[in-house]
Amino acid sequence: MSDALLALLSGSVGSLAAWEATLRETTPLLITGLAVALAFRGGVWNIGAEGQLLAGALCATIVATRWCVDAPAWLLVPAVALAGAFGGALFGGIAGGLRAARGVSEVISTILLNFVAGSLVALAIQGPLQEAARAYPKSDPFPAAALLPSLGRVHVGLLVALALVWLAHVLVFRTAFGFRLRAVGLAPKAARFAGISPERIALTTLVLSGALAGLAGAFEVAGVTGQLYAGLSAGTGYTAIAVALLARLQPLWVIPSALLFGALEAGAAAMQREAGVPAVVTQIVQGAVILLAVGVSIGRRRARPRLDRASAEAG
Amino acid sequence: MLDDVSLDVASGEVLALLGENGAGKSTLMNVLCGLVKPDAGVLELGGERIDLAQWGPRAALAHAVGMVHQHSALVPALTVAENLRFGDPQAGLWFHPRAEQRAAEALSRRFGLEVPVGRRVEDLSPGQRQRAEILRALGRGARLLILDEPTAVLTPNEASALFSAVRRLCEAGRAVIFISHKLSEVEAVADRVTILRRGRVVASLAVRDLAARELGRLMLGRDLPPLARRAPPAPRSGEPALALQGLSTSGASEASRLRGLALEVFAGEIVGLVGIDGNGQRELEEVLAGVRRPSAGEVRVAGRRVALQPRALRRAGLAHLSGDRESAGLVRGMSLAQNFILKGSWDDRRFFRHGRIDQAAARRATQAAAQRFGIVPPDPDLDIALLSGGNAQKLAVARELDGEPAVLVAVNPTRGLDVGSARFVHEQLLARSAAGGAVLLLSTELDEVLALADRLLALVRGELREIEAGADRAAIGALLLGAGAG
Repeated sequence: MSDALLALLSGSVGSLAAWEATLRETTPLLITGLAVALAFRGGVWNIGAEGQLLAGALCATIVATRWCVDAPAWLLVPAVALAGAFGGALFGGIAGGLRAARGVSEVISTILLNFVAGSLVALAIQGPLQEAARAYPKSDPFPAAALLPSLGRVHVGLLVALALVWLAHVLVFRTAFGFRLRAVGLAPKAARFAGISPERIALTTLVLSGALAGLAGAFEVAGVTGQLYAGLSAGTGYTAIAVALLARLQPLWVIPSALLFGALEAGAAAMQREAGVPAVVTQIVQGAVILLAVGVSIGRRRARPRLDRASAEAG
Repeated sequence: MLDDVSLDVASGEVLALLGENGAGKSTLMNVLCGLVKPDAGVLELGGERIDLAQWGPRAALAHAVGMVHQHSALVPALTVAENLRFGDPQAGLWFHPRAEQRAAEALSRRFGLEVPVGRRVEDLSPGQRQRAEILRALGRGARLLILDEPTAVLTPNEASALFSAVRRLCEAGRAVIFISHKLSEVEAVADRVTILRRGRVVASLAVRDLAARELGRLMLGRDLPPLARRAPPAPRSGEPALALQGLSTSGASEASRLRGLALEVFAGEIVGLVGIDGNGQRELEEVLAGVRRPSAGEVRVAGRRVALQPRALRRAGLAHLSGDRESAGLVRGMSLAQNFILKGSWDDRRFFRHGRIDQAAARRATQAAAQRFGIVPPDPDLDIALLSGGNAQKLAVARELDGEPAVLVAVNPTRGLDVGSARFVHEQLLARSAAGGAVLLLSTELDEVLALADRLLALVRGELREIEAGADRAAIGALLLGAGAG
């Protein structure tokens, strides 16, 4: 048991290589966690970060391996990133449009769109996007100009992610849009009477949230794997929900939260390698962390002081 | 919240419990029916001393204490007879529809409470629903019946029917505790009255021994001067400030559909619109707030047709004030300042510039409003959920009056407020109209409309009926009920 914990620790924070592994796992969790936190703030239950991430990765791959293969790096890297954001935004937008036009619950539609995105990726890598050799179900490797610049094994996406965290913080707490978003998330009916349309906020939020998740997908293919294959994400978009909840939907708190889950992911691999403990054990740990986080937040809500009664008595 | 309170009620007697919001009435009653455990005290029922450590909802039921809450606790989809059985601890495993119905009818006859026991609760009028609630408490063998502000949802006629039912219960040897904050009701129904203020009993005496004015002073702890009426509005001239033409909508039910409403409100005038819930009030409010699209008709503000969207209406100078927190546009979880600027997120340059919020300006404006309107506590960063209903409502009033709107639509603006806060809101409405605003007052409180309005209209089954000046309460009640809520 102690062997396993030791492996988990040394594999996540015990060495420079371990830190690199942790930060690499953290980057997509940071961006998708942010995507989920943003959506949940607006009362939009986006369970589709996984699908939006895959859609983003798919679009990024199309741009990098089919459309702009010969473009120079200064053009191709931003194009890949934009394509990723576009793919995610498209998938988020479908769910948002369905809700605005037909009242379809985004919980249902985003979950179903996860399957659609997964199947589209599988279809693409066995068909139009399959590698030239046609041996394995995966895409061609990205041209060198499409790969994200990196320091050691940590790519530049981490810096972008941190910048996005700050931007999201400003968006939520300092802008009129963030103000409306929070109002809708807290009291959709009151917001409607105040002239804020919950449907329109939901659509915008899902597009934004999807764009973020899609960007994370583009960063994964262009920064880590260098090609598209079926097991690309392995549940990042679901872990993102845990990241967002543990951060209590505060953009800035997504940083430590993503780091924790990133370390768990990186450590899990090491634990499996060195102590022979199956990686699913860390999933159990992750689950426990989420339950704890949710339990604590509910407990705090209960414990909130009931000032209204006290002041009513006094007044 | 309660401090050394003593209370007694005899069989065959109606005790009225009076007090402001937050005076401790509900807490006291929750102690009686076992929902709240007191720190200290003694309870005796029918001469039997009861161990308060053992006291709880089940014990209260076993000792024949029955409570009828303000908000209906009946299951809407079940019939009255089924509701009487639902949750009855003495009920067995089986249900015999016909036997239950016969039992319910017998109970209804025995106490003279007329209820269609075979009908589903959702199809009943508020008055019938309340009688069904009382019947259920009696069916459980209640000998002490607690009625928590039972007239809040009733028309005057339904209320007087309730009073005679309560008298009959007393003749049958039941004891009744009647919670209210209306003096007229207490005089109509109670034998004795106990007045609470800030968790203490300030007086306990026979009703015939005191005058209404004295009651008010005891409740508030100060004299409430009569509402100062302003001068009658100047003769109408020119365009009406607010005009509805041929307004029709779909509705939650057939009765609440608006049917070609036409109405004009002039500057400086308060037009009162009375009606029972479910006759189109909600629909009219939603149209005027811009959240429901009418199927036909239009709304004009100062002669100009306005798009029925919240932002367009606001820009045209129409403000909407509601007693329902959500319709009022108050967001729990946001601070006072954020609630104060909530409706301006699109176009209010004082608080929103280039898409950014000016927090400091919002705080300053909120603080100023809090001071002017006496909001307690006047902390702009406090979550509005932590304020009492009256203070939250004051913030809504402050926000709506902030832009000195040409038209103010006030819907049940004092619902749930205590006498002091309600008086404050009334004064603000009068002040707005005195300053040249047009006020449309929609309310289920007849007293409120009678006290404030220059002109009275009734909304009955989605249509407007004129009420003649000087019509008495009974006549208005008959008009409201005539076309029936049933």
